[in-house]
Amino acid sequence: MSFSDLLLQQTINGLSLGAMYALLALGFTLVYGILELINFAHFNVFMVGSFIGMWTLQLMGINGQSIVMTGLPLIGTMLIALIVTMVLSGALGVLIERVSLRPLRDVKGPAAMITTIGVSYVLFNIILLTVGADSKNYPNPLPPVQWDIGDAVLRLREVLIWVIAVLLMLGLHFFVQRSKMGKAMRATAQDPEAARMMGVEVDRVIVIAFFLGSALAGAGGLIFGLYYNFTSFIIGFTAGLRAFTAAVLGGIGNVPGAMLGGVIIGLIEAMGGQFIATAWTDVIIFSILVLVLVFRPAGLLGRVAPNKS
Amino acid sequence: MPELLQFRDVNTYYGDLHVLKDVNYTIGEGEIVSLLGGNACGKSTTMKTIMGVVRPTSGSVIFDGVPIEKMSTAERVKRGIAPVLEARRLFPRMTVFENLEMGAYTRKRGPEFADDLDRVYALFPRVKERLNQISGTLSGGEQQMVAIGRALMARPRLICMDEPSMGLSPLFVEQVFDIIQEINRQGTTIFMVEQNANMALSIAHRAYVLQTGKVVLSGSAKDLRRDPAIREAYLGELQVT
Amino acid sequence: MRMITKLFARIPMARRQHLLTLLAGVAAIAFPLLHDNDADIDSAANAAAYATLALGLNIVVGFAGLLDLGYAAFFAIGAYAYGILTSFQVMPHWSGFWEPFAWLELVRRIPQPGGDLVHFTVSFWIMLPVSALIAAAFGVLFGAPTLRLRGDYLAIVTLGFGEIVPIVVRNVDSVTNGAAGLNGIQAPRLFGHSFGVAALPYYYVAIGLVALLVFVSIRLRDSRIGRAWMAIREDEIAAAAMGVDRTRTKLLAFAIGAGFAGATGTFYVAKLQTATPEMFGFPVSVMILVMVVLGGMGSVWGVVLGAVSLQLLQSWFLEDISGWIHDLGTLIGQPWMLKIDLTESIELIFGLILVFMMLYRRDGLIPATRKQSALSFEEQHAEVRRGGFPALTGLGNFTHSDHTGLEVRDITVRFGGLVALNKVNLAVPAGDVVAVIGPNGSGKSTLFNVITGLTAADGGTIRFDTQSLLGLPPHQILRRGVARTFQNIRLFTNLSVLDNVLIGQHARLKTGPIAAVFRPPSTRREEAAARVWATEILSLFGNRLLPRATQTVSHLSYANRRRVEIARALASRPKILLLDEPTAGMNPAETLELAEQIKSLHSLGLTILLIEHKLDVVTRLADKVVVLDHGEKIAEGTPDEVRRNDAVLQAYLGRGTLAEGMVDA
Repeated sequence: MSFSDLLLQQTINGLSLGAMYALLALGFTLVYGILELINFAHFNVFMVGSFIGMWTLQLMGINGQSIVMTGLPLIGTMLIALIVTMVLSGALGVLIERVSLRPLRDVKGPAAMITTIGVSYVLFNIILLTVGADSKNYPNPLPPVQWDIGDAVLRLREVLIWVIAVLLMLGLHFFVQRSKMGKAMRATAQDPEAARMMGVEVDRVIVIAFFLGSALAGAGGLIFGLYYNFTSFIIGFTAGLRAFTAAVLGGIGNVPGAMLGGVIIGLIEAMGGQFIATAWTDVIIFSILVLVLVFRPAGLLGRVAPNKS
Repeated sequence: MPELLQFRDVNTYYGDLHVLKDVNYTIGEGEIVSLLGGNACGKSTTMKTIMGVVRPTSGSVIFDGVPIEKMSTAERVKRGIAPVLEARRLFPRMTVFENLEMGAYTRKRGPEFADDLDRVYALFPRVKERLNQISGTLSGGEQQMVAIGRALMARPRLICMDEPSMGLSPLFVEQVFDIIQEINRQGTTIFMVEQNANMALSIAHRAYVLQTGKVVLSGSAKDLRRDPAIREAYLGELQVT
Repeated sequence: MRMITKLFARIPMARRQHLLTLLAGVAAIAFPLLHDNDADIDSAANAAAYATLALGLNIVVGFAGLLDLGYAAFFAIGAYAYGILTSFQVMPHWSGFWEPFAWLELVRRIPQPGGDLVHFTVSFWIMLPVSALIAAAFGVLFGAPTLRLRGDYLAIVTLGFGEIVPIVVRNVDSVTNGAAGLNGIQAPRLFGHSFGVAALPYYYVAIGLVALLVFVSIRLRDSRIGRAWMAIREDEIAAAAMGVDRTRTKLLAFAIGAGFAGATGTFYVAKLQTATPEMFGFPVSVMILVMVVLGGMGSVWGVVLGAVSLQLLQSWFLEDISGWIHDLGTLIGQPWMLKIDLTESIELIFGLILVFMMLYRRDGLIPATRKQSALSFEEQHAEVRRGGFPALTGLGNFTHSDHTGLEVRDITVRFGGLVALNKVNLAVPAGDVVAVIGPNGSGKSTLFNVITGLTAADGGTIRFDTQSLLGLPPHQILRRGVARTFQNIRLFTNLSVLDNVLIGQHARLKTGPIAAVFRPPSTRREEAAARVWATEILSLFGNRLLPRATQTVSHLSYANRRRVEIARALASRPKILLLDEPTAGMNPAETLELAEQIKSLHSLGLTILLIEHKLDVVTRLADKVVVLDHGEKIAEGTPDEVRRNDAVLQAYLGRGTLAEGMVDA
């Protein structure tokens, strides 16, 4: 392939990965913005979400890539899978908040963060123990349609991923900017006590933030499965670190930042894999994480300087 | 004149620190009542107790005949108490309009909302001009206007103001106090914690003076304005009783 | 059994600790002799290795409060350092350069047809401390740019480092043999004999290592360094204001913790004779964290117990419990139960432990209690003193002539658009008491913060004893003799009264980490003198504080906590004492008592700058009063002058009739 075609191909790949990381980073940043809590469990909610998507599709009779649908049945199936995945992932997030985080709301120090590490481990191992360590073939009813642009290839699944991601992000944007609860969330993130004095029920806001964030994580999980045609218990860890870096890069707590960060990390992963070596991509991404926190902790779009006074 | 808000024998402790000592207030409907006192006397604790951020250790807070000391903040706002917080505390990255909207959070969106907005615009023309401005970029005096407007959007029966003159230039202070009087004339009861005793007493009907958590003086504003004991209370004269 | 517990209860507390330690030691030594199962001894040796890792992480997380999620990186560094220097992986060509090393038996010459090669054969015993040092050096390298970050960000960065190290190891395969791992790592040799594969000698080395590191941990914990770590953990700002160099102290914790892991890495890999990158990933860091959380953050014996418990769980109990579940499944006809293998789910149990402990028992199995030598009866008995503090010989160096006073000139501080202080001038002559008063929001606390280095100035100068204080970090300012208290009381909440006051002396004591461990006579003398000094200061407050010297400050009354804060500041032997609303929250009688006590300090020569709004306290104490309003100085003079000043009255009461006329005394 010519260089420009290679570049184009990797841009396409990068944007697809970026869409997934952006959704993951968004969910993570929603919770951080309000609670200033680093929720490690988030990335395994993503992993569980991908399994929920898989099981939903399987329940609808789709196994592997053998069954292909088009048109309305395809859209209907995808919609059902997406909605079920998001709702159940959201519920999982709410459960986690209720059981393991609410009791620690007023405790200073790393207790809450340590708890999220614990929850993350629990989710990870429950899936591992129940479904095993092997990768699962992901049910995918998409027809193998693709378009050629020079030597680069744009597949239907990539378009689908972009559409889903953009729609979800737009939906979240409108929710946060325009809806009453969305404004309550923003207010709570900016001044929880003043928000309370306006009559906002802060507990409720937190629950909704967890629901939304986890639902987005679940959607990300479904997208992962459809993109790679597989899922496994380990994906939370690998995708998680990238999404984490994306959130930090964009500015933790900053919603547009999460989207920007996601796209950048996705592109870096694609380009890095192509032009450097996949082995080193992890190091590059971790290094970005460390460098951003050391030199510009507020990230690209953030404001708050998280150094100690 | 019916009583709107009452504190009955309220005692509040922070740990073992006795912050409010057997405090009694009565605020009648339609009044402007001011709470005066020097540093660290319990004024802001009073405000927090009314809003529900702090719960009294003993005693009761009665609003419109109903004890509210165990109710959540949201519940109290729904019943008609709205705050203007110390140092304004607008939501800094939201626009002026969104801040006003947040003031009306507990109310249903309907025709009343538009009426309330108009009322705020009438009182604060400057606010109307800056509806889409991010509130963190406003000056202190402008923020205070928005903060009062935000409280009005809740259509409260009682507005609790915490140090409305703090951090404002003298010109703005005069404007703010004029507006407070106007709001009161329009029917809202005002309970105002204020350090600037002179200003407060010039518009209040009645006042209480707190010193280290105890009410040491109370009465009509007219009488208190001439009472030299206020100076002593403010400057922290030791009462060895 | 009853008799034993009764006997046990008869033994005094301090002796109890020693007895238990002795028993544990004897049991550890006797264990393999009584139980001759090689696999079990091997597990025990592993448990001991995990214990040393937990001890190291305990210093970082438990003592200093720094959450390190990438601790396994140091474990890896120690492991690979030894591995590379004793395996056949790295073999440069032989040259004359290597002769002296061969003579020292650090390398061996391997004859090869294509050219002789160098085989590294560094001794295990040398590598133990050397790996510790190498790991510690990496600790400093990672820590220097990152330890100033706040807690959760630091956790992420360390997680990042924890991941980068194994990946680098995996990729630089010429040196590390990548994912396949290093093989042929030399076993330790003692007196010519190799340890071989039997577990027994490794077990004893491990036990020895545990004993050593427990000893080091305890010595550090009970020293000036340990106190500084805990001060940082409890309240970093207050720690800095009391003279603790935060960066240095945190780096020390990080480096020592890394050193423990490095030594353990060498041991572990010497036992296995192999090293692969998988052994050092995030799951290992989490496992060590689980041990620390389970045992008790900050508790030395607790984390050892945590490590041993988890190892026992993993090696012995889980198998047994799985067996029981299988039997039960067969019994009640549930075949799926036969598939359950709990040993696979150890990580699930880790997760559950973390959640459970954080929710229900944050202190761990054995909560960390600071070991305090109990004060004798004489030390606890102190009469109630009236009329202020009596003269103390130790305080004698607070004399007038010792310094030239504090000079604040044209200080301006801005927070964004708000001007908190506007060209404020303040002079505190040596030996005077100056009071700063003013209404809420006038900038009084900001003034204190800018003098003590907690807030930066945007203009002006501050000089104490003719030396500029501007730009100095808070702990340096304390060392110059400027000590303070805080308006909101910033004590080290979970530490005792005595510890709080001892930390006040941090800048005046000299014991470093090495002296802390070896406790030479100079250190012992220093600690004893520090305690005497602390006791003297506490006894200034009559019987209010001394009887409570070993109590945690969180259990003290509000007024007593204020007093402890003043005691802590006094302990630093300051030249000037800045008191921020010292009588706030006190009733009139207590206020009077404290006012007289502050006055007596002054008569000993101590210079005092105080923020106070009770005017009669000010009148009683101050030579001069400075009045601030809206960030500016609006009046200055004697207390009487200030009370009559119209501008002052207006500042407090607002312009108008109230402010007119005099205030009667």
